[in-house]
Amino acid sequence: MSDDAPPPAAAPPSEQEGPVRVLVADDHPMWREAVARDLEEAGYQVVATASNGAEAVRRAAATSPQVVLTDLQMPGVDGVEATRQIVAADPRVRVLVLSASGEQADVLEAVKAGATGYLVKSASRPELLDAVARTARGDAVFTPGLAGLVLGEFRRMSSEPTVDRATGVQSALTDRETEVLRLVAKGLSYKEIASRLVLSHRTVQNHVQNILGKLQMHNRVELVRYAIATGLEDPAIDD
Amino acid sequence: MTSPGTEERPTGPSPEVASGPTPEPGRRGRRDLRQPQRDLGFAAALWRAVEVFRAVAVVYAVVAYATREEPYRNPVLGWCVLALMAVWSLVVWRAPRRAVWLLVTDLVLACGSVLATLAVDTTALAAATNTLPLVWPAAAVLSWAVWRGPVTGVIAALAVGAADLVVIDPVDRATLHNIVLLLLAGAVVGFAAELYERSRRELAEAMEQAAAARERERLARDIHDSVLQVLAFVQRRAAELGGEAGELARMAGEQEVRLRALVSGRPRPTAATSTDQGDTTDLTAALRSLSSSRVTVSGPAGPVLLPAAAVADLVAAATACLHNVEAHAGEGARAFVLVEDEVSAVVLTVRDDGVGVDPGRLEQAEADGRMGVSLSVRGRVADHGGRTSVWSRPGEGTEVEMRVPRPGRPPRH
Repeated sequence: MSDDAPPPAAAPPSEQEGPVRVLVADDHPMWREAVARDLEEAGYQVVATASNGAEAVRRAAATSPQVVLTDLQMPGVDGVEATRQIVAADPRVRVLVLSASGEQADVLEAVKAGATGYLVKSASRPELLDAVARTARGDAVFTPGLAGLVLGEFRRMSSEPTVDRATGVQSALTDRETEVLRLVAKGLSYKEIASRLVLSHRTVQNHVQNILGKLQMHNRVELVRYAIATGLEDPAIDD
Repeated sequence: MTSPGTEERPTGPSPEVASGPTPEPGRRGRRDLRQPQRDLGFAAALWRAVEVFRAVAVVYAVVAYATREEPYRNPVLGWCVLALMAVWSLVVWRAPRRAVWLLVTDLVLACGSVLATLAVDTTALAAATNTLPLVWPAAAVLSWAVWRGPVTGVIAALAVGAADLVVIDPVDRATLHNIVLLLLAGAVVGFAAELYERSRRELAEAMEQAAAARERERLARDIHDSVLQVLAFVQRRAAELGGEAGELARMAGEQEVRLRALVSGRPRPTAATSTDQGDTTDLTAALRSLSSSRVTVSGPAGPVLLPAAAVADLVAAATACLHNVEAHAGEGARAFVLVEDEVSAVVLTVRDDGVGVDPGRLEQAEADGRMGVSLSVRGRVADHGGRTSVWSRPGEGTEVEMRVPRPGRPPRH
């Protein structure tokens, strides 16, 4: 999150089928161009750019990117809604949110809607490339800021446990997952977390992945429950 | 951009981003202006009512004067006075605004018309405890009352009343009754006018504030879409250049954070909840002002509400911890501030990735006063019933965890 962050510059990804296809969505032309240029220089293929959410959704459908890099505040359909629609249309698409800081609630919504990572716009180029590379690999990109948000969200969810009981969906975090998430939120790298908790790097990665999965699952369950509650009002649904 | 897909690149929409929000507030602004004008119209209506009263009073005086059967001592003078009253009533009616000279002249003429009774006819009029202008002078009293409230109203009433006392002899109950009524009219109408004026001003102020808040919101949106983007961009690009540009990057980053804190400093969470638990504020929002290129602040998306005093102390404690990081954690150390909202407590952690201290030497360092701030940190946290724990290891940075119980939670259950 700062200008001298430790993560190493990402090597251009070497996927089996050529360069990773990326879509860049940002309403600010300066940002859009700069990010697209950085990605192309690093060996990615920028298949499309978009200046608003509706365009992003349309062009994602047309160009089937592997990674969508999106801003949150865009005119019309915003980044959160675009993320929801893009992931709904093709669950294999990975969405990385690149947002100005100070949009906590929106970031959380985007992640619930299916984004798998979040990076502030002030992040350095190596950080950005690293984040895109990780997103392309299918890993979650958890910054301390996002970890703090997700941690807070699980705490909030645990204070209203009826959702879980009614649906039987296991969306509470295990103690270990909470521990990992807290350390991420305190700025420790996966490597540092692995050594502190005596785990493998991969295990830490998996925990983070599971945390994200639970959050998104919970969100889907909540949406369904909401739809049922408002649309059908069928009391027999929660047996 | 050399890849095949780039034809997709959009061309048009950015100007709409810059200019989009502007017209709407402008339209709102015009609507706000119309409101006070309507209020002025209401005040004008009040004046108009006084003028109508004045006109009717002239007609009444003329009719009463013309229909009296007993002869006057000086009937021509009487008609002259009545004519002057009518002309003056017309002048005031047509006057565009209530200038001070107009009001003063009005009162002088009111008293004068009363005194003129002496010259026109002494006994006959006075016997009926009436003066030549009858109720006409009350219009001047009402004008004064509407002008500056009950005080001026009563002053005018006293002046007219004094003139009455000079003219009417002997003074009887009815005369005093009339004077008291005049005083009451001056006071009551003045009070009402003042009340109206005050509420009008308050309304205008409230509307001004609402307009200012809207304008601020619009500015915040605009700044977010423009200046902050540029600052973040400068920060990122300059950081890549290194050297002197690196310093630029750092400054741009700090200004970005500061500006963001400024434009996003909306009292939204506090306003919503201050009623139910006394004065509470959002701890996370307060801490965000500490973020910089080296300090990351994270916490839940929703507000973490604590009493304002506790928030102030926790922010001060976090600030002290960050100073400590700067002083002792080593070159380039970064700090992470985390707010956790647990059921019965709020946990604030300040961690750095600096050089750290050997656990055994931690107490030693504390005793030496090298980490003297930790004393003030502990004190501040303890003031709110909280605990502070410090964890550190060489090479792994230092972590200060402050756990403050939530006030008011346990008794509720």
